[in-house]
Amino acid sequence: MTHATHTKPSRRGEGFATLLMVAPATALFAVMLVVPVGLAVYLSLTDWDGYSARPHVVGMANYAHLFGDPVMRHAATVTLLAAIVGTAGMNLLGLGFAVLVNGSSRANRFLRVVLFYPHVLSALVVGFLWSAILGTTGAVNSLVTAHGGSVLPFLSDPTWAVVTMIAVLVWAGFGVNVVLYLAGLQAVPASLVEAARIDGASRWQVFRHVTLPALGPVVTVNVVLSLVTLLKTYDLVVSLTAGGPAGQTQTLAYLILWNSFHDNRLGFGSAQSVVLMVVTAALALIVTRLRRRGEMAVYS
Amino acid sequence: MRPRHLSRAAVGALLSLALAACGGGGGFSGGNTSGGGDKGTVRMLVNITPNLTQSYWTELVKPFERAHPGVHVKIEAPTGKSVADTLPQQLAAGNAPDVVEQLTADRTRASQMLDLTDQPWVKGTPLAQQAAVGGRIYTVGVGEQAQSLIFYNKAAFAKAGIQQPPKTLDELTQDMGRLKAAGYLPLQTAGDFVTGLQLLQLADPSLAQSHPQWYQDVKAGRLKVGESLLPHLRLYKSWIAQGYVDKNAMGLKYPDSQTRFFAGKAAMYIMGSWFTAAEATAKKDFEVGVFPAPVQTGQRSPGPQGATMAAPYMILKSAEHRALALKLVQWLVTDKSAVTSQLQQDGNFRPGFDRRFTPLERQVQQILDAAPATVPQGEGYGDDTLPNGFNDAWNTQVQGLYVGRSPEKVAAAVDQWVASRS
Repeated sequence: MTHATHTKPSRRGEGFATLLMVAPATALFAVMLVVPVGLAVYLSLTDWDGYSARPHVVGMANYAHLFGDPVMRHAATVTLLAAIVGTAGMNLLGLGFAVLVNGSSRANRFLRVVLFYPHVLSALVVGFLWSAILGTTGAVNSLVTAHGGSVLPFLSDPTWAVVTMIAVLVWAGFGVNVVLYLAGLQAVPASLVEAARIDGASRWQVFRHVTLPALGPVVTVNVVLSLVTLLKTYDLVVSLTAGGPAGQTQTLAYLILWNSFHDNRLGFGSAQSVVLMVVTAALALIVTRLRRRGEMAVYS
Repeated sequence: MRPRHLSRAAVGALLSLALAACGGGGGFSGGNTSGGGDKGTVRMLVNITPNLTQSYWTELVKPFERAHPGVHVKIEAPTGKSVADTLPQQLAAGNAPDVVEQLTADRTRASQMLDLTDQPWVKGTPLAQQAAVGGRIYTVGVGEQAQSLIFYNKAAFAKAGIQQPPKTLDELTQDMGRLKAAGYLPLQTAGDFVTGLQLLQLADPSLAQSHPQWYQDVKAGRLKVGESLLPHLRLYKSWIAQGYVDKNAMGLKYPDSQTRFFAGKAAMYIMGSWFTAAEATAKKDFEVGVFPAPVQTGQRSPGPQGATMAAPYMILKSAEHRALALKLVQWLVTDKSAVTSQLQQDGNFRPGFDRRFTPLERQVQQILDAAPATVPQGEGYGDDTLPNGFNDAWNTQVQGLYVGRSPEKVAAAVDQWVASRS
């Protein structure tokens, strides 16, 4: 009895202390994540135009309209294409350059800065910069036409414009991948590489069978980060192509912002946001699972 | 269990708070214009362009501040892509400005704006009645912008042997052939918003004659937008096919198109009267002329001129200093020096306000004077409006002509868009 009366208040106190300690993080999580997401889900079920005081609940109408919208379908295709091709490009270039500049020489240090530099620039600036280079009257076309050539339709032909957009996205983003892969490369145990060399493995064999498997978790992080970033592409589209020509480079995020704030259809834009959020989370989860299965296979 | 209940309650409370914030000033009703005292800061969200810079706006309101000690007018630039994007974001955040420039009221926006109908000074402001929504005035402006204008390179016209600017669209097409033969790109255009805007500007005078009740007929379902503009879409497609516009123009931005015109490479440029302000400062080695957009054969020339309100202002119902905001807007649209300055800065016009005109501006004024009427354009204003976002949807579809779509397909897509929003 004495024992019981001694422990009960202490457990209660412990619980209260735990609650106090997790309260700030929980509140922050709720304000920063739960409320916006909850609000987006709620708005997606309304016809809110951004001006009226009380939005009308329209149920699943926005979602029904969204899946039948050809503009949305095209934007989804462009976004997925950019995400898949861009992720491959950013990771191949990131890993390739990381291997090349993986050393402590001055030249390597300088090259790392150069490779990371595009990522420091705002995506808006990057878009304007490349439109000045690749536009119809841009630097490249001025050079081409000055030498008697025809204008290269980097931004005026629908196919070229999508390719150009993806190329610029890769250029602007792969610096982060270089840094992450460099960190991964430097964490590969030197003893493993040395043992493989002593066993007579060539440089390629060492990379293929020792370094690359050891980089598994870094690859997962890089792929997921690139994928999620590219699925949210917006600002670069604004400054590079403005979604043109003829809406051919509109991405989902671009469309969401446009529908929400330009066409005053915040309810519909919220439905698009919710779908994008779910798709992004699902893709990230699938990629993580697949990568984890691959990593397990390597280590087993 | 208890902590779970607590967190649920907290989330619920936060959600309610956030939803309440979403209403912005939506709870306001009525047109009470009192409140806020005679001192304080009036926040004004304005459009920033190469002509209308932040420093221009700050200088513009200084005389008002001097005349009203204790009053500060805080000029705010859009934090989004434009004023149209920024205002709903600010309303959602419960942080709307007192005054907003550039936007005009429609049925959606009117719910958040102060009703100015009973203000005696409103009646004398340009296009105020035309921009009314349900007979109530929410928007007042400084002047008018003429829309349906074609600026041209006089040297190019002379070289091509064109004595008089064309009056019909057929004559315009014939002249384009002559200009191309003379070594000029007949018509300068660009991607961005320019493609669709130019075609709307070109279509205004003939559309207003072939369908005098265009907005009403479209709203009532008696007429389809794409169908009614199909002749213009077909004409434009033929221009692309004949090389009268640059097939790579979609890779140009708005400023690029002006630069190319001033470089003397293109013979014509369709744009609104604000282009005169750019022309006044541009370096060029030829004289620029202007003529009203031609009409279809058999129609009256010149036709009605597409016109929009220049520097439109609205006051938010939620304005903290409503009385001061009213004083400011009244001053902005009626004070002679303030009006003249704004007209001058952005190349706009207003009967009765004489300002320094460049020769090109004088020609635009003559075109406005000669026009039998002024008509809204595209998305329109007041009761004559199409669904929000029409201008952009139209622009996207018109650009489709450059990427192989037929005029019929473009017209059908425009009609489908309008139907889906109506």
